[in-house]
Amino acid sequence: MFDRSAALALLQLGDSAFPAGGFAFSWGIEGLAADGLLSNRGDLDGVIADHLAQRWASMDRILLRRAWQANDIAAIAAADRLAEATTPSAEMRDGSRRAGRALLGVWVKLSGPLAVSYRARVSADANLGHLAVVQAITGRDAGLGLEAAELVSGWTLITGLVSAAVRLGLIGHIESQRSLATARARLTELLAETPDDDAMPSSFTPFIDIAVSRGPLRHVRMFTT
Amino acid sequence: MSRLALTRADEPMTAARVGIGGPVGSGKTALVERLIPALQTRGIDIAVITNDLVTAEDAERVRRSGLIDPERVSAVEAGACPHTVIREDPTLNIEAADELERRFPGVELILLESGGDNLASTFSRDLTDFWMFVIDVAGGDDIPRKRGPGVIRADLLVINKVDLAPHVGVDLGRMQREATEVRGGRPVLLTNCRRGEGIEAIVDLLEREVLFRK
Ligand SMILES: Nc1nc2c(ncn2[C@@H]2O[C@H](COP(=O)(O)OP(=O)(O)OP(=O)(O)O)[C@@H](O)[C@H]2O)c(=O)[nH]1
Ligand SMILES: [Mg+2]
Repeated sequence: MFDRSAALALLQLGDSAFPAGGFAFSWGIEGLAADGLLSNRGDLDGVIADHLAQRWASMDRILLRRAWQANDIAAIAAADRLAEATTPSAEMRDGSRRAGRALLGVWVKLSGPLAVSYRARVSADANLGHLAVVQAITGRDAGLGLEAAELVSGWTLITGLVSAAVRLGLIGHIESQRSLATARARLTELLAETPDDDAMPSSFTPFIDIAVSRGPLRHVRMFTT
Repeated sequence: MSRLALTRADEPMTAARVGIGGPVGSGKTALVERLIPALQTRGIDIAVITNDLVTAEDAERVRRSGLIDPERVSAVEAGACPHTVIREDPTLNIEAADELERRFPGVELILLESGGDNLASTFSRDLTDFWMFVIDVAGGDDIPRKRGPGVIRADLLVINKVDLAPHVGVDLGRMQREATEVRGGRPVLLTNCRRGEGIEAIVDLLEREVLFRK
């Protein structure tokens, strides 16, 4: 049965205009383009597929699920520390924290109870506030189910990557819709599989990690990551 | 109007946040470089955020200026969306300001320079307590007549580079009059940021309207 109110909630929370700073992150798209490794829609679709399968599904999604299942703030913080420890690239870690903290800040202002109590913890510890963990917290505050929260997490990654590519002039507005549809199909497949509860986060996206890590070395740079 | 006025006794005092917007090259960074020493001379504890568009050039310029502790200058990337990062989605700037307040608990005023933009750019009231829009005489004396939202809605309109008026055929008096008219009498101040003229009047206004000191 079509659940209208759940669908509308997803449209609001998964909207690329949701004000959590997502537009400032390219997660490697800008760097890959600058290094000549990404110049058209085919390349972009490949990078998105990598991001989804080799990073999001095995890393962010696992962290989100851990934070979702956490019973208290300390357990959420443990998932957050795991995010910190399993992300070798300093720029990736920093980007994840900046994006996560921005999202957390919005939900603090929206009076999300879990967001408010976790914010106190994050304020006192510079290593906390990773995006995937905050997506679990804010998903819980928003009254989403776990599956919906995972869907929003994957989808906002996709829209962020595609819209960065549009702003960088790599693809046009019509091609962007094709890329979104391709990525949507991939995300659906990934979500159809349920990871084990004790799965550990892992990722293998060397080109993306290097592109993000090289960010601070580039003179021309429009995105945070 | 100000968050300062609304701060409750049980909340930590937060710094006033002052936005500086305006077209590319109008002199926003030059104004920041003039405001820093002028504010410091009056004993005001400050920090700076820049929203550079394509490089971190403005942030680096302010950091290297020797005017302020480089740690007190934060750069926020705008993802090629200078409007968005100060209006529709100012969360990254809000986080940067919160972070500066956490790191420098005594900070009283945070200057936030927007990336160079167009006449339609405005700051969110959730981000700034007060914002000014900087245009320059070399952009043409018809700019105020175009009634862009930046020109009209800013708390203060700054017309910079007054030294260039004779060279570009601008009647400064008329430009200021028209600007004041389209703004319904709200403040319009003239500056020459190259020589540091007109800066004290801006600081007076900030002390009065934002810091409630006078
Ligand atoms: N003659 C004159 N030049 C000025 C004045 N103020 C700034 N300039 C010059 O104008 C140019 C642009 O100044 P900036 O301060 O970089 O302008 P901006 O608005 O920060 O520029 P963006 O951040 O790139 O949008 C520089 O070359 C300044 O030296 C002024 O009052 N008079
Ligand atoms: Mg500037």
